Amino acid sequence: MQTFLQYTILGLALGGAYFIAASGLVVTYTTSGIFNFAQGAIAMLAVFTYWQFRWGWGWPAPLALLMVLGILAPLLGAVLYQVVMKNLRGTSEVTKIIVSIGVMLGLQALATWVWSPTSSTPRQFQKFLGPKAFAHFGSLTVPWHIIISFIIAIAIAFGIRFLFVRTRSGVAMRAVVDDPELLQLNGGRPERLAMISWAGGSFLAALAGILIQPMIGSAMSAGALTLLVIDAFAAAMFGRLRSLPRTFMGALIIGLTTTYVVAYFPSKWTWSSSFRNSLPMIFLFIILLVLPQDRLRGATVLRLRERFRMPSIRTAWIAGLTMMIVVFCLKVIMAKTGVNTLTLALTFAIIALSLVLLTGFAGEINLAALSFGAIAVMVVYHFGVSGTGTAARTTLWGILLAAVVTALVGALIALPALRLRGLYLALATMAFGVFVSRMVLTERTEREIFGLKFTLFTAGQLAIPRPKIGPIDFNGQDAFLFLCAGLFVAIGIGMVYLRHSGYGRRLTAMKDSPAASATLGMSVVRLKLSIFMMSAAIAGIGGVMMAAQIGTVNADRFDIFLSLALMMITVVGGIGYVSGALFAGIFLIAFIEALNLLLKKFALDYSTLEAIFMFFVSAVTVLPATIGITMGKNPSGAVSDIAEGMNLVKQSKPLMITVLGLEAAIWALTATEVITNWNFVILTLANLILVPLVGGKFLMARAMRGVPKPVPPELIGIDRPFTDEDLAAMDHALNLESIVIPSSTTVREEPANASA
Amino acid sequence: MSEAHYHEDHGAVAGAPLIELVDVRAAYGTIEVLHGINLSVPQGSVVALLGPNGAGKSTILKVVSGLLQPTSGEVRLAGRVVNGASADELARIGLCTIPEGRGVFPNLTVRENLWMATMSGVSLADVEEIAYARFPRLGERRKQLAGTLSGGEQQMLSMARALSVNPSVLLLDELSMGLAPLVVANLYEVVAQVSQEGVSILVSEQFARTVLGIAQYAAIVLHGNISRVGTPAELEDELSAAYLGS
Repeated sequence: MQTFLQYTILGLALGGAYFIAASGLVVTYTTSGIFNFAQGAIAMLAVFTYWQFRWGWGWPAPLALLMVLGILAPLLGAVLYQVVMKNLRGTSEVTKIIVSIGVMLGLQALATWVWSPTSSTPRQFQKFLGPKAFAHFGSLTVPWHIIISFIIAIAIAFGIRFLFVRTRSGVAMRAVVDDPELLQLNGGRPERLAMISWAGGSFLAALAGILIQPMIGSAMSAGALTLLVIDAFAAAMFGRLRSLPRTFMGALIIGLTTTYVVAYFPSKWTWSSSFRNSLPMIFLFIILLVLPQDRLRGATVLRLRERFRMPSIRTAWIAGLTMMIVVFCLKVIMAKTGVNTLTLALTFAIIALSLVLLTGFAGEINLAALSFGAIAVMVVYHFGVSGTGTAARTTLWGILLAAVVTALVGALIALPALRLRGLYLALATMAFGVFVSRMVLTERTEREIFGLKFTLFTAGQLAIPRPKIGPIDFNGQDAFLFLCAGLFVAIGIGMVYLRHSGYGRRLTAMKDSPAASATLGMSVVRLKLSIFMMSAAIAGIGGVMMAAQIGTVNADRFDIFLSLALMMITVVGGIGYVSGALFAGIFLIAFIEALNLLLKKFALDYSTLEAIFMFFVSAVTVLPATIGITMGKNPSGAVSDIAEGMNLVKQSKPLMITVLGLEAAIWALTATEVITNWNFVILTLANLILVPLVGGKFLMARAMRGVPKPVPPELIGIDRPFTDEDLAAMDHALNLESIVIPSSTTVREEPANASA
Repeated sequence: MSEAHYHEDHGAVAGAPLIELVDVRAAYGTIEVLHGINLSVPQGSVVALLGPNGAGKSTILKVVSGLLQPTSGEVRLAGRVVNGASADELARIGLCTIPEGRGVFPNLTVRENLWMATMSGVSLADVEEIAYARFPRLGERRKQLAGTLSGGEQQMLSMARALSVNPSVLLLDELSMGLAPLVVANLYEVVAQVSQEGVSILVSEQFARTVLGIAQYAAIVLHGNISRVGTPAELEDELSAAYLGS
């Protein structure tokens, strides 16, 4: 009984802290419509800042609290809204998710930068009123910190309810979600209200973090803390991101069950601690399962700012061929480490292709691509390797089996969430990703089920050999590089074919308007399910290739944050394009790596400036997130911008010949070792960016005199206004020439002006 | 019709105009939808904007209400240029806009919806008193979510705001959209009542007959231009041409 009470109180306090974090999510979501993935990261940053003030610099607790909770956290929230989130109105759910993930990764990188995780003294965080402050209730002793936490949670619950129901500003905050424009017409200021709510949400995140950290009692870690508040997602879902009482209930249930698992599961169950850690994610999943079907909303077709144009099949073949040639040319001049990095980048690009297929084509979201890769790798490890030692090879059947299994697992994950909006599927996949990281990839012990003995993740790492397909052995690095490049090109071209097929058109239709698709008799769920399975299979194949490139992979390779970063960079690259996936792989693996090496080389070469270069090395860790955050400004992705520039080159033969000629010359110089590889990189970039720029200026001047760029008919009215010729052409196409507008109408006195 | 001609005709007759649009152009993105609108609403009068779908009526109202900034030209309110003022600023100085569709917050209760009207400076008690007196049905449903009201009741709720905030200007966009004729007649009675209190009203309407009963002036909007302005009687013949002719 004593134990039960003790753990119940602990569970209530933990649940209270979860509630505070979850309520912050609800507040920001209800006012801005943005699900703030960065909530956990804000909590984490607050914990580190508080630690710095309180124990790093020895400030008294009230002052440190005032500084963090009263000033810094609300300020961070307000700034985030003003600088980042405000720009997200009218963007798709994908962009909203990606930008807040960008903020999350950015804050995390920032924390690791400032508070190095390899510091010699572990950062400890103490309970309020000190570690020895206990309250005694009869025979029961409870730390004051626990009591304080629970009381604060209840106070917050009532406070928020009071705000939302009893104050005009609070009601106005709810009104913002319904219709910001109407609120403005009433005289309200929606932007200011949203900013205040973000400040409040950030405050709540910080408070939750500071309350939770001492309850865990372990040393502070940026990743663990960020994920900890992700556990609060489940509670927020329990209240469907709306109802605070239900959120409170959900938080308490999660808090209590997790503590009871610790208390009552027999200690011989080695998996109970992983189970406890993944429990909130299991909850999240179950909640998504029982949520009622989302209404199809036909009336809310937004005019989104994202637009993707699909290349023709011919262009895809040319691009694929070009890519193979470029890979070959690069291989010739690159050092062995360079080839390794390039191959790894291509394997990531294959995984990113799965995201392009799912998100770019179908508008659904998977935040745990690498976790599907992990599943595939485990399948290959157990069933897809023939031979031993250096003769071990991954078989083609192993890879195919892995693809099938990941597709089935994908179906299992996606099925419950497919009835719901995109955000819920995103959360379900994220729950799956965290579950795989915490529960599956931590499995080291041998288990026996139905007489079958196996260990899921042997010794914390799995060795995956290179594949041998039929008579062709891809063990050599060069051969494997070409396999990966070929695989990317093949899947990429396949996707372009798919996009041009009837199936692809149905996907686009579904992405644009699920309601319209459903009324036309399409089974939206079957379509979503099939595309999700296909995407999971591609992620699985990419994961196997990634593991085969590295050789031996541990759980860190499938980290959820890496999945998130890959998704984010793919969106930056252009989630609607196959080239966006290539960009993601190259950028995330090769570019960051190269930038790091270059900066470190500079730091060595110019030792007086070492500090500055090392600063930039750290800054590079924040770079991907920073780029992700800027997505709000240009939701169609970076590649489309680059492609616009390249269009100039394509349109002008002399310019094309100049660029290609120069590039060939640079390559030849490098191949004959006249110039170094670094110079090759720099000159290539200069050639690809500067020459079109200068040539473009010249061409633009000429284009001004000539005809404007043709606009495809379906985009007239969006890219440029209708002209009289367009209207005439349309009338002609519709056989409307016989209908003559009566010229006698006196009302139309300025016909020339009317359609200008 | 030239701008000068128009001013001679009407601008001068009814004294100082409360709303004035001078050569206003407006665009959505790169597409211009208003090509130089000149219009004035004399103090205390009802001006109806008539015209077919997509003519630019709602856009004119959006520009006046501050939701859409004109690309050129001037919007004047009681003689002051208000280009660049935001919709909420204009709302707080006495401009009341009932937007197209139902101007209610569906996830707020009737009472909370009325509460939002108090941002222009009136007290909630006054708003509730006026609203429930004119529309008793709203009083019965004060705790119900506005989204669960019928279309007519929702429009009553949004009209209640126009009644209770003492605006000097009222902008109404497609009041009758999707409503039963009887409800529409009822709503236009309210508009007439508001007008008698001296409020200047600019109303857009596709169904001309209903609004012409209470309007002093009407302007026919076609293809982003005002093609004709006059009293309802003068415009009677033009109307059928405007709707059917193009």
